[in-house]
Amino acid sequence: MLKRVSLILVGVLMASLIVGLESIGFAAEKKIVLWHIQTTEPATSIIADSAARFEKDHPGVKVEVVPIQNDPYKVKIKVAMGAGTPPDVWISWGGGPLEQYVRAGQVLDLTPYLKKDNWINRFIPAGLDLAKFNGKYYGIPVENMSAAFIWYNKKTFNDVGVGVPQTYDELLQIVKKLKSKGVIPISLANKTKWPGSMWYMYLVDRLGSETVFENAVNRTGSFEDPVFIKAGEEIRRLVGMGAFPPGFNGMDWDTGQSRMLLYTGKAGMELMGSWLYATAQGEAPQFAKNIDFFPFPVLTHGKGDPTNLIGTPGDNYYSVSAVSKYKDEAVELIKYIIDDTAVEKRLAAGRIPPVKGIKLTDPILQRVHSAFAKAHHVQLWYDQYLPPELGEVHKDTCQAIFGGAMTPEQAAKEMEKAAGKFWGK
Amino acid sequence: MLGQERSRSFTATAILFLLPAVAFYVVYMLLPIPMSFYYSLFKWDGISPTKVYSGLSNWDEMLHDTIFWGALRNNIVLVVLSILIQLPIGLILGVLLTSRIRFVKLFKTVYFIPMLLSSVAIGLLWKYIYDPTFGLLNSFLRLIGLQHLTTGWLGDPATALFSVIGTICWQYIPFYMILFMAAIVGIPDELYEAAKIDGASDLGCFRHVTLPLLRGTISMASILSLVGSLKYFDLIYVMTEGGPNHSTELMATYMYKKAFHSFEMGYGSAVAVAMFAISLIAAVAVMGVTQYDARAL
Repeated sequence: MLKRVSLILVGVLMASLIVGLESIGFAAEKKIVLWHIQTTEPATSIIADSAARFEKDHPGVKVEVVPIQNDPYKVKIKVAMGAGTPPDVWISWGGGPLEQYVRAGQVLDLTPYLKKDNWINRFIPAGLDLAKFNGKYYGIPVENMSAAFIWYNKKTFNDVGVGVPQTYDELLQIVKKLKSKGVIPISLANKTKWPGSMWYMYLVDRLGSETVFENAVNRTGSFEDPVFIKAGEEIRRLVGMGAFPPGFNGMDWDTGQSRMLLYTGKAGMELMGSWLYATAQGEAPQFAKNIDFFPFPVLTHGKGDPTNLIGTPGDNYYSVSAVSKYKDEAVELIKYIIDDTAVEKRLAAGRIPPVKGIKLTDPILQRVHSAFAKAHHVQLWYDQYLPPELGEVHKDTCQAIFGGAMTPEQAAKEMEKAAGKFWGK
Repeated sequence: MLGQERSRSFTATAILFLLPAVAFYVVYMLLPIPMSFYYSLFKWDGISPTKVYSGLSNWDEMLHDTIFWGALRNNIVLVVLSILIQLPIGLILGVLLTSRIRFVKLFKTVYFIPMLLSSVAIGLLWKYIYDPTFGLLNSFLRLIGLQHLTTGWLGDPATALFSVIGTICWQYIPFYMILFMAAIVGIPDELYEAAKIDGASDLGCFRHVTLPLLRGTISMASILSLVGSLKYFDLIYVMTEGGPNHSTELMATYMYKKAFHSFEMGYGSAVAVAMFAISLIAAVAVMGVTQYDARAL
C-alpha cells in the first residue's frame, strides 16, 4: 500500500517537473517580450491588439506585452540592460539615450530590415532621423508626432480682448494685459524641469536658429554662446514680469498642477507638447472646447526660422535588443505595431503616427500635422537629444535660471563645463 | 557522549534553518556594500559591458561637488529637526494617550492614520496642500488674513526643505507615539502609586518615573530617527525630486539621480558608500553618547 502511494507520488512529481520545465522555456514555442510605456487607454489596447494579430499570423510565437509607467520604465530598462537580460522589443525616445544603448552594443541595427521591401518609405524621414546614428537606423518611430506650442484659452483671450500674437513683443503685451486683469498669464509646472526647458529651447531657436545648439553639441560652438545667455535673460524677464504662477518650480506637471490653472481659467496660456490637447479632452472636456494653440512667436532680430519646431517626430521608438534570440520575429512584431490597422486606431485616438499619407479630421490635429510638414527643422527636446548626463545638467541649470538661483551666464558656464568634460573638448 | 552528539546535531540543524535567511542577508544586504565601493572606482554608465577603471577620481570629484555637500547639509538639517520635533511630540502624544482622558480610542486612531498611508500617497496629498493657488495651506492663510505669508511652498528654495520636513514629521510622529506608548504601558503601576504616596504631582511622576524608565526607548528612537533621516529618500523624491535647484537634495536622492538618471553608476556608487560610512559613524557615535544598552529596551 505504502509502496504504491509513494510510486504514485514519484509519478506526480516527475510529471510536474516536466510541466515545469516546459513552462520555463523547454517547449517548442518562441517567446518575445515587449516593453512599452503606453499605460493609458486606448493606447494600451492598440498595442495589445497588434500583438494579438501578430500571434495569430505566427503560430508558435508568443508575445509577452508588458506596459510600464513612464518614469519607472527609464530605470527598469537601464537595470535590465545592465544585467544583460533586456526584453526583445523595447521603446526609447530616440536621440541621446538611445545612442547610449547603441554605443554599448545593446541595440540591433534595423537598416537591413528597413531597406527590405522598402519598409523605410512608410515613414516620414524626419521621424526616422532621431534613431539614426552613423548612417544606421536603430529604432522605428511609432506613437505620435508632437511638438510644443503655446496653448491658450480662447474665452479668456476674448474676455480680456487680446488676439493671437505674431511676434514675441506682442506676446509680452498679452502677458502684461492678462496680468493687469488678475489672470496668471502663463501656466507652468516646473518641478520636473522639462516644461520650463521648452521656453529655453524655443528662445534659443528663435534667437539664433537651430545651428547654435547643433554647433554647441558637435563642439564647433559652445554652450556659452551669447544666444544661450540671451535666452536665459528673456526667461528672467518673463519671471520678473510675473508671467508664471507663484511657486511654479515646485508644481508638478504629472499631477496636473499647471493644467488645473488653465482648466479653471486662472491662467491664460501654457507652452506644452501637443499631447496637451488629448489630455485636456480627457480631463476637462468642457474646457477643451475653448482650447487653441499658436506657434512660438518670432523674435525681433532673431535668426531662427519661425516654422522651426521643438518636439519629437515619433515620440516612442521601438528597438530590438542585440541579444534577442528571435530577432526576425521581433522586427516582424514591430511591423504589426505600426501596420495600417494600428495607424487607423491611433488616428482615432487623436494621435498623429509618423507615417506617410494619413488623413486627419480634427482641425487642431490637422494644424499640428501641417506644422510638422512645413517645419524647416524639428529639434528634439534637449534632455532627450543630449546624452543623459548632460540632459540632466541642462534641466538643472534651466530650472535654476527660472528660479533665479543662477544667472544666465552662470548656467551657460556650468553647461559648457559639463559638455567639455563629457566630450573631452 | 550521547549529549555531545545531540548538541552537535542541534547546531547543524540550527545552521540549516538559518541558512536561507543568512544567504539572503549576505547577498542583498552585505555584499552590495563592498560591491558599491568596487563600482565607485570605475567610470561606468551602468549598461555597458565595459567599465573604465578610474581610481579614486569619483571620490575626488565628490569631495569637490558642492551639490553633494549641500545634500549632506540638508541631511543634517533633517536629522536635527526630526529628532527635535518628532521625538518630543511623539512622547507627549504617547503620554497623553496612555493617561485617562476621554475619547482616547478616537484619538489613538486619528493620530495613527498617517502611519497607515503609503509615502507616495502622503507626498501627493501634501503636494496639493502646498499648491500655491489651490492649496489648503495658502487658502487657509488667505482666509485668516495672513495673505503676506502665502508663498509657493515647494517652489521656493527658502521654504521647500522645511515644507517637506513638515510632511516627514507628520508621517513619522505616529510611529514614535506608538513606540513610546508601548514602553509606557510596560512601566509597572506600583511605581506610580509609590510616587503618588510620596507626594509626587502628575508632572513629578512624569519627570521622576516615566522619563528615566523611557531612557532606553528614547535612545533607540534617536538612533532610528538619525539613521532613517540620513538615508531618507521617498517623500523628497515624490514631492520635490530634490529641487528646486537642489535645495531639498538629500544624499539618497542625489545618489539615485546620478546612478539612474545621469547614467553615472560609478559616481552614484561613490555617493552610496559615503552615505553608508556617514550613517555608520553617526549611529556608532550616538550609541556611545547615550551608552546604548540593548538590555534596557
